Amino acid sequence: MLTLALAILGGCIGFLAQRSRMCFVAGFRDYFIVRDRELLSGIFSFIVTIWFLTSVLYSLNVIRSGIPQYGDAVIRRSVEYLRFSLSHVLRISNFLVGGQGEAAGLSSHFMNKFIYVTFAGGLLIGFVSTLAGGCVLRQHVLFAQGNMNAFYYIAGFYTAVVVYYVFLFKFFVKLY
Amino acid sequence: MRKRYLKPWLFGIIAGSMIVLFEALFNFYPPSAYSFCLTCHTRDLVNGTVNLIFRTNFQTALISHRAVEATSFFVILGAFIAARRYREYRLQKSTRPLLFFVAGFDVMILGIIIFGCPTRIAVRVGYGDLYGIIAFAGMVFGIWIGTVLLKRVSQKLT
Repeated sequence: MLTLALAILGGCIGFLAQRSRMCFVAGFRDYFIVRDRELLSGIFSFIVTIWFLTSVLYSLNVIRSGIPQYGDAVIRRSVEYLRFSLSHVLRISNFLVGGQGEAAGLSSHFMNKFIYVTFAGGLLIGFVSTLAGGCVLRQHVLFAQGNMNAFYYIAGFYTAVVVYYVFLFKFFVKLY
Repeated sequence: MRKRYLKPWLFGIIAGSMIVLFEALFNFYPPSAYSFCLTCHTRDLVNGTVNLIFRTNFQTALISHRAVEATSFFVILGAFIAARRYREYRLQKSTRPLLFFVAGFDVMILGIIIFGCPTRIAVRVGYGDLYGIIAFAGMVFGIWIGTVLLKRVSQKLT
């Protein structure tokens, strides 16, 4: 049941993405090169819609605003999570006023390695996707349109999962 | 036949509301903001299959015990139906297979490390996840570096 619903969601988004030529990398790329704002408007309407709906649903208690469990238990325990909330704002103001008890927590958050890993990973994703000419969604759509470059992209995409967990996981797990 | 395209801002509104309402309606919870992600769902699909066959214990999300996440296939299927329906399907030969293979490989590994493809990074920005916002800022900066490089290369060629 859930599998079927997920399949329908994926199919609908694939259909719409093919129709609108939507890409989360090309929006910024077109803006930086030729100042074309069309795809950028797609990205921002996407974010604003999600922001609006989630804030409505959080206030109605439909979506639980708890800790998102990233991956398995080991990583879940080690990845510290922080949501922008009233308590966070209070904690920062407490820190500025001089609350000593909260200072350790905040500085440990800024010392958290995973913030820098996230920034560097995002940077490399943006760079590699620009060279490949589209984000992951766009490559799937291009493959469906018959572009064989995107076929090799997706082949690399599936190979990487196995290679990562067989060979590279031991080294990269230190990043968390 | 005149081609009619969907406006991108309309795609943003429709797809964004579908993603959020899917999580709310089907209680698709344990990692939140997880209803649409190509790298994470592909990771769960491949690792789930490998775990089933070889009895290994590779990382999967908790939701993958309740659903088979074949989003990648169905995105391709939906886009294929759209391309056939509006006659945009045409076969193009591969020009640089190795470059694209390495690009897909890199994006998958980076996506596993920071938990998200570009689409899910945008979703997490909407959810108010601090790590999502940082990853989005990094992604925009990386795209800027990539465009500078592309401009340099195109200037040298001409």
